[in-house]
Amino acid sequence: MHASSPSKSPTRLAFSAVLVLSLFCANVAIALEPGDRAPAFAAPALDGKGTVELSRYRGKVVYLDFWASWCAPCLTAIPEVEEMRSEFPEDDFQVIAVNLDQKTKKALRFLDKNPIGYPSASDPKGSLPGQFGVDTMPTSYLIDRDGVIRYVHRGFKRGDGSKLRHEIRALLNGSPAAKAPGANRKKKGNR
Amino acid sequence: MKRINALVLILVIGAISSGCVQVKPWERDLLARRDMGWEPDTLEAKREAHIYFSKEASMPGGSGGGGGCGCN
Repeated sequence: MHASSPSKSPTRLAFSAVLVLSLFCANVAIALEPGDRAPAFAAPALDGKGTVELSRYRGKVVYLDFWASWCAPCLTAIPEVEEMRSEFPEDDFQVIAVNLDQKTKKALRFLDKNPIGYPSASDPKGSLPGQFGVDTMPTSYLIDRDGVIRYVHRGFKRGDGSKLRHEIRALLNGSPAAKAPGANRKKKGNR
Repeated sequence: MKRINALVLILVIGAISSGCVQVKPWERDLLARRDMGWEPDTLEAKREAHIYFSKEASMPGGSGGGGGCGCN
């Protein structure tokens, strides 16, 4: 029986190559969960006026919302978020949005009809959702005064506002409603 | 010869693996466009499906058996 040297076997080489390629292929996205620190970002404002910086709102409870004009649940959420913004004290609570439209014109057209009173950044290349590990549209993050994520809300349907209000209120009152990491991880079957 | 085979295998796998790219949730901008749907006009598609299964005496839609009573 002829035994070939393992180091020279082309089949082994091919298998090794497949293994290495499959590692590159693996699409591992790390989604930020409650307890993780929110990445401090600065992105150009959607309206073209300056930048939107997360660090500017340190000391306030921040509701960070990723949205796009082509995403129907995002558009359902926006009037509700706008309502929430006005319900909580401005000194303590801040809403920031990050728009992910590739063409900002569509987002601006939507905001013309549905004006919002909070800043929205524009990230057409989608680098910020990559940093946060957004895995559903929309996803929103409730960030505490120290910049730590305390609640992640994936998807949006009518009635979700009351749950969000509860979480915001708890955080404003100093009792973070943070759950164990992964406690509200997305279940299979998107909303 | 074996080396060439291995190289070809690697190249083929490399070419195929480029299809592993996943569309991220925030990259569905173009895919969400109405004209990217299988049926750009949902209402029209439903109407046509209704005519089809009524004519074909089949239920439901274009697949499955049964029906034929003309009452759907």
